[in-house]
Amino acid sequence: MLSIPYVTGYLTEHFGDDEFTQIGGYEKRGGYRAARKAMKEMTPAEVIDLVKSSGLQGRGGAGFLTGLKWSFMPVETDKPKYLVCNADESEPGSFKDRILLERGGHQLIEGLLIAAWATGSEKTFVYVRGEYGFPARQLQRCIDEAYARGYLGKNVMKTGFRHDIVVQRGAGAYICGEETGLLESLEGKKGQPRKKPPFPAQYGAFGMPSTVNNVETFCHVPHIVKNGAEWFRSIGTEKSPGNAIFGVSGHVVRPGLYEFPLGTRLDEIVFEHAGGVPDGRKVKGVIPGGMSMPILPAGQLDVPLANEFLRERKTMLGTGGIMVMDETTCMVRVACVITYFFRDESCGQCTQCREGTGWLNKIANRIERGAGHAEDLDILGDVAGKMEGRTICAFADAAAWPVQGLLRHFRGDFEEHVRQKKCPFTQSFEL
Amino acid sequence: MPRITVDGVELEVPAGRTILQALDDAGLLMNGVDIPHYCWHPKLSIDGSCRLCQVEVEGAPKLQIACNTPVQDGMVIRTASEQVRTAREGVMELLLVNHPLDCPICDQAGECKLQDYAFEYGVTQSRTREPRRALKKHVALGPTIVFDQERCILCRRCVRFCREIPQTGELAVIGRGDRSVIETFPGAPLENDYSMNVADICPVGALTTRDFRFKIRSWFLQDVPGVCTGCARGCNISLSVANNKVYRYLPRRNDAVNDTWICDAGRDSYREIGARDRLKHASVRGENGVLETVSTDFAIQEAARRLARIAAAKGAGVIAGIASPHATNEDLFTFRRLLEALGAETRGVAVVRGASDALLVVEEKAANAAGARAIGFGDAAAVLDRLRSGAVDALIALGHDIAHEQFLGGTQGLEKLDTVVVLDSHVSELQRVAHVLVPTRVAAEKHGTLTNCAGRVQRVRAAVEPAWEAHGEGEILARLGAALGLGGFDGRFDVREVGKALSASLPAFEGIDLETVGAAGRPLATAGASG
Amino acid sequence: MVISEDARARIASEIAKYPVKRGALLPALHIVHEELGHVSTQTAVELAEIFEIRPGDVMEVVSFYNMFHATPQPRHHVHVCTNLSCSLRGSRELLRALESYLSVDDHGNTADGRIHLGHEECLGACAYAPMLRVGDVYHEDLDLEKAKRILDELD
Repeated sequence: MLSIPYVTGYLTEHFGDDEFTQIGGYEKRGGYRAARKAMKEMTPAEVIDLVKSSGLQGRGGAGFLTGLKWSFMPVETDKPKYLVCNADESEPGSFKDRILLERGGHQLIEGLLIAAWATGSEKTFVYVRGEYGFPARQLQRCIDEAYARGYLGKNVMKTGFRHDIVVQRGAGAYICGEETGLLESLEGKKGQPRKKPPFPAQYGAFGMPSTVNNVETFCHVPHIVKNGAEWFRSIGTEKSPGNAIFGVSGHVVRPGLYEFPLGTRLDEIVFEHAGGVPDGRKVKGVIPGGMSMPILPAGQLDVPLANEFLRERKTMLGTGGIMVMDETTCMVRVACVITYFFRDESCGQCTQCREGTGWLNKIANRIERGAGHAEDLDILGDVAGKMEGRTICAFADAAAWPVQGLLRHFRGDFEEHVRQKKCPFTQSFEL
Repeated sequence: MPRITVDGVELEVPAGRTILQALDDAGLLMNGVDIPHYCWHPKLSIDGSCRLCQVEVEGAPKLQIACNTPVQDGMVIRTASEQVRTAREGVMELLLVNHPLDCPICDQAGECKLQDYAFEYGVTQSRTREPRRALKKHVALGPTIVFDQERCILCRRCVRFCREIPQTGELAVIGRGDRSVIETFPGAPLENDYSMNVADICPVGALTTRDFRFKIRSWFLQDVPGVCTGCARGCNISLSVANNKVYRYLPRRNDAVNDTWICDAGRDSYREIGARDRLKHASVRGENGVLETVSTDFAIQEAARRLARIAAAKGAGVIAGIASPHATNEDLFTFRRLLEALGAETRGVAVVRGASDALLVVEEKAANAAGARAIGFGDAAAVLDRLRSGAVDALIALGHDIAHEQFLGGTQGLEKLDTVVVLDSHVSELQRVAHVLVPTRVAAEKHGTLTNCAGRVQRVRAAVEPAWEAHGEGEILARLGAALGLGGFDGRFDVREVGKALSASLPAFEGIDLETVGAAGRPLATAGASG
Repeated sequence: MVISEDARARIASEIAKYPVKRGALLPALHIVHEELGHVSTQTAVELAEIFEIRPGDVMEVVSFYNMFHATPQPRHHVHVCTNLSCSLRGSRELLRALESYLSVDDHGNTADGRIHLGHEECLGACAYAPMLRVGDVYHEDLDLEKAKRILDELD
């Protein structure tokens, strides 16, 4: 069952305390004071500047500067403005937003309030993936408590500012975690991402100016308001400040959540904190940021977990889903699992994604069962290359990158399948 | 107006347009500037999913889709670079991975955008070893359209069309990813007055019309530009012709008349050309009261004899003329001249009216009602009044709309007339009362112009020849005039000469004739006015 | 009418939360699934009326999402996650063993139609693999015995 992080930080330090999940306990620990400070002592523009100077990057995978995104919202407008909280967490290997919802509902609400004040938004839609029934209920309980205490509704903390929060459940589609796919789903349609332009700040939820941010991103905000931009910048790296919650899974002794400053080394987390690979085996590869991010081989795990360093190794932070694979793992089978996922979850709009994800999966399966040919490896790489950077949304990139990463570092596994006409990894997980 | 550079050529384009729209506005798209595309259509909302229209825009890190990129002053676009070429190859290859190898049995072959673009922009060899998606091959989406799910490339034009044009929305994309399929809701088939347009806009052979299915290979067909004669809208069409037969109508784009659409009824109206009830020979009523088959020439002579006799006996004032709203401007101008030369003042045009809609279909169910009025034929009611009061004793009727229930409701009142001369393309109940019957050609069989409900004069061409003796109304009337010895009639009918004479005589038609009309037609000088 | 008055009332209160009616369509579909288990053509027609859209639009949405169904469903939906982290920890072997335990058919349904057993993509429980969900409830840190007991307890 979902347990509190093995290593906590300012986001999760109180998560072990049941009282913290109730509004009374939250307030006792200083909860809602940052929102009060923002709404009573700062102008919206000042809040945006603060978040900008903090350097907070979105924690949903894209890493866009949060303060900058908020500043795109029109200041003078007749239209209602909305915040959208992306709680669709479906990136394989990620389960950090889940705990933020289950154990930190009020922290999220406080972050939303501050963001609402900064952007002039009258309503937040929290879009929670459909399968997170329990976390959604926990959040709703916190929202109800917040209404009762006057932190939400027509007159937030008697400032005259109005804000409402509506929770909507998704229904099982990974693509609804994409910013505009989410907006479409929120509007009661298929979650097919929109062409950009227009961008959500001009045309967002229900056609109104909107800002979409990940759950975790909002959760950092009360701490930034409480402690200041300099404090935030003192944590993490120069380009990637603050903490992040990493989810470690796969072949490790202590799979679970770990809150660390950005820039903490991947090998440190995997071997020192998560106990390394069990049963005396050796590590083979680690995906650092959720399954969309290219894998790193055993020899390249000494990398600080921040985008400026990960990019040098042709991978990215993503959602911080650290997936560890030991030496028994067949990387072709990994390719089958990954390509199946992307084929299943493609929304189907764009030619390259719809047909490409299908083709990649079929080739991977064929190689895996021993019917592959040498040229199939080139075709895999080529098709992945043809999908990249050419579609309405980044899903096609997310589908292409892992395949490219596997071919880059584990081409040998594929070649062996072709040569031996079967899987040579007798101890690997089954497909 | 923003100035952009496309492949080194500078263009001035209207602001607020996307690259594809701007090139389309300028008449350059696929006609000087090649940007192949599937999902974009000039008359539908922007989709952006096919990804084929990617072009290089200087300054942008990635290729941009031309369909959704607004033009900006100073923009530099390249449509034929290596990067663009590779991107197009990528899209084409991926589309062909699952597309069935149906060309030998597919109606679309020869006019298929997948074939065309695969040939121009695609890869020459297939690399896929994978089994293709197996789906349903001939789904009856509705009464008019057959759908092959495997051929569909999910450009979604058809879905958008149904939602945006007739606004009936019967089609939806069901499913997700490479399991997506276009379907109708049970009990709600694709059934609207514009349904067959989806077959035109489908770039591949996924949507085809039942009407055209397996009829003939597209490369045997010649496309002749023309005008639909189903109603007064005058939608521009192409008549697809082979073996002296019209196999189908396709809509022809005219942004001033019908955009790229035609209603199903109009599209189907090509059947009238080869219909069984075409009038195929002239006849005259003998002394015994029976119609006898004769040559057109004999019929004309007989008509002249009868008309001359009644004019001599009672004066030309008892002769009335009913024009056909289906005849050309040139035919009708000749008719007016004939009646004037005869001294027959009673004239009018009978136009049958039916339902109309908010899109293309208008009430008047004839292609040249406005032309008839502009040339001086007023409402047939005036003629009917004189007919009922007994002031008419001879009638020259073009067409048979006069017998429609909206007018005479039969032939009553015509039996007692001394002379009834009927010029018509199809058999009708007027046969019962006609003394002379002469077959005419329909618009698809002659050259001339028609004037639509908005006063736009448009060209028709002889796409086929009737397999029997039939002439245009104008030619028959010119010969009748000569047979009657009327001044100004030498028995010849040269449609260009007549057109010029019409243009010179009536201010509304000033400067308009067969040559000046152009491919998109020209409005009357006094559009909407009657002569 | 297939959709009950009670469900309609709940749907109405969802609609009230949105600036545009259709925003409540996913919540309405969840409510309908709770009550009826799936969206039949009749249900789609009724939902289309409520939301002033077309039945085809409703089915478009139903067919896009994993949690919505257009055909009648077994009472219990049991899904074992077979994505990467779970597969690394034996979730696929577990699923196969459970399939055998329940003797499910090609569609993953038990002969008595009570249970559907299938696989699913990442459910956000990667550190607690292998795991499965029964409807809304997660069962994590499984072994074969624990999993079997969970299935045994389904009515």
